[in-house]
Amino acid sequence: MTSQTILLVEDEPTLRNLVARALREYGYNVRAAATGAEMWAMLENEGADLIVLDIMLPGTSGIDLLRRLRQTSKVPVIIASARGAEEDRIVGLEIGADDYLAKPFSVRELIARVGAVLRRRDGGDADGNAPSQEQISFDGWSLSPTKRELYSPSGGVVDLTGAEFDLLSVFLSLPQRVIGRERLIELSRTRVGDSSDRSVDVLVSRLRRKISLEEQAAPIKTVRGVGYIFTAEVRRA
Amino acid sequence: MKLFWRIGLVGQLLLIAVAVICADLLVNSVLFESARRYSLQQEDAAWLAENTALSHRIMDRTAPAERSAMARALTTERFALEWSPRAASPPPTVTLPTLRRQMLTAEPSLRTVSFDVRLRPLALGGLIDGSTQLSDGSVINFRYRKHVPWTLNLGQSLSIVLPSLLLLVIAWRVVRAMLRPLATLVAASRQVGTRQPRHIPEAGGGDVRQLIQAFNTMQERIHQLMVSRTQTMLAIAHDFRTPLARLQLRIDAADMDTALRHEIGSDIVEMDHLLQSLQTFIESGSDNSPRRRLDLAVTIQTLVSQETDLGNRASYHGPDHCEMSVRPVAFRRIMTNLVRNAVTYAGNAEVSLAPHGTGVTITVEDDGPGIPAGQLDEVLRPFTRLDSSRARNTTGMGLGLAIVDTLVKAEHGTLVLANRPTGGLRVTLDLPGEFGAEGQSEGQAG
Repeated sequence: MTSQTILLVEDEPTLRNLVARALREYGYNVRAAATGAEMWAMLENEGADLIVLDIMLPGTSGIDLLRRLRQTSKVPVIIASARGAEEDRIVGLEIGADDYLAKPFSVRELIARVGAVLRRRDGGDADGNAPSQEQISFDGWSLSPTKRELYSPSGGVVDLTGAEFDLLSVFLSLPQRVIGRERLIELSRTRVGDSSDRSVDVLVSRLRRKISLEEQAAPIKTVRGVGYIFTAEVRRA
Repeated sequence: MKLFWRIGLVGQLLLIAVAVICADLLVNSVLFESARRYSLQQEDAAWLAENTALSHRIMDRTAPAERSAMARALTTERFALEWSPRAASPPPTVTLPTLRRQMLTAEPSLRTVSFDVRLRPLALGGLIDGSTQLSDGSVINFRYRKHVPWTLNLGQSLSIVLPSLLLLVIAWRVVRAMLRPLATLVAASRQVGTRQPRHIPEAGGGDVRQLIQAFNTMQERIHQLMVSRTQTMLAIAHDFRTPLARLQLRIDAADMDTALRHEIGSDIVEMDHLLQSLQTFIESGSDNSPRRRLDLAVTIQTLVSQETDLGNRASYHGPDHCEMSVRPVAFRRIMTNLVRNAVTYAGNAEVSLAPHGTGVTITVEDDGPGIPAGQLDEVLRPFTRLDSSRARNTTGMGLGLAIVDTLVKAEHGTLVLANRPTGGLRVTLDLPGEFGAEGQSEGQAG
């Protein structure tokens, strides 16, 4: 596998060098840009497998840059921000960022997220790239992959941890199929940082509790000795 | 009228006084004019003149000692007499010159007598009275019992009542017009600093206008101060994160002892948390994000399971689901801070939720040492830390509960801290739920 190219857009020179060095150490090919204009030029010339974008760039805000980028390209983007506001994360993900990295971050966190986003892009999922804008629904529940939110049949937001969300996404991508526990763990580990070392059974039982209602049990059945099966019909719209 | 409002309070009062005096003068001149023209029927005037002349003559001849008795004897139903030894100055009242001329015409002998006729004050019955002076200087006061026309009586009453009435009406209108903008001002001043400044339209008198003008300027200035404070704090929080990010990456790249790297790393994490809580505190007052339906029970369960995953003691008692219209980020922050506080300071958190009507009551209890009774209110203030021994190893800026307090108020809820009888702290959070239709429509699907 040839090394993948990461385009790093960061205006602060020292930080730019530190991040670039860290990524190179992990075998990535890094191109660094200080401004949005530089980013466009580099994208045109060489393309990139992933962009790490600082949202507080001088000139254009990273958010505007991302919005323009999303009109033409599906290249995965991780936004990095020093603002630390919850809204930034939500807005970033809504307009099409694949992940969000709050400054300060450690090299381990950076590498893990870059790896996860690239894996997700290359992953077995048919629709590959950025999380699709579509809405996935089952039994009256619906899930927004972009906002990473789950809505109950009555329309309320139902909080899920990252791991729970990923687990549910796996179930929704493979409905009515028995999924072995090992495979489930493997597939739901594309995200990092969450309690991936929790036993998958605990995660499943928490998820079940969250998506079961008095009148309607959660559509996740245990297949003894093998794994789980998601029994509800899944619609994408 | 517009001009009137511009001239200020003192000017207004002066104008009002002038208006009242003018009204008084007007009413009086009308009264005097009608009194001046007042006359009786020819025969009544003649009768009055004759009786006056007759009684004068009789009394003049009567010895002073018997004059009082004589006056009583001469008194009839229509014509009452009274003798007084000295001329008393007549009470302030209205003279009736036309009637006097009438009487002189009817009884020319009165020309030699010093006499006058007046309108009696209403308080004394509102009749005509008069007096004649006897040759020794003593005086006969007589009263003519004939009903005086209502126009005169009305004029007399008006001259007393009207100016006061006018004053009352004007004062009422002025005070009301003055108080209305003041009431707006009072309401607005209660809100200063809690939201976007709302420009108050200038109304009322000149002074009130000036006050409103000054108030508008003041609230604008306060708003600017708060905005620049917020921006400064946010800029600090932002600008500190860049060097922190560099520091983090530098130690990751450095060839150094793992334990040392870990320690520096946790220092960076702590600094980041301080910046985070400062930022949350500053932003907690201005959360304008829309209300959405959120499953509060699931949010709490998620927090509790995150604590148990970290090996902390936490539990949740209540329904599996409970949806309500709230600001999700604010509610998560409230619950995170309460649960984290309990776990950090007391070692455990027991959360329960009970729906009631449209709202919910949520309690967070712990088995820790509680808070000294006198400091229960204090801990809600920003930058308050109870520096007892138990808190020595904990970090933070003392903003956790202050943030919770601000956010709960923004949700129109109440927050009560109390020590449990069995030990430990109980935080009771009451959220009223629906505030009309607001938020309901936003409950997502898109």
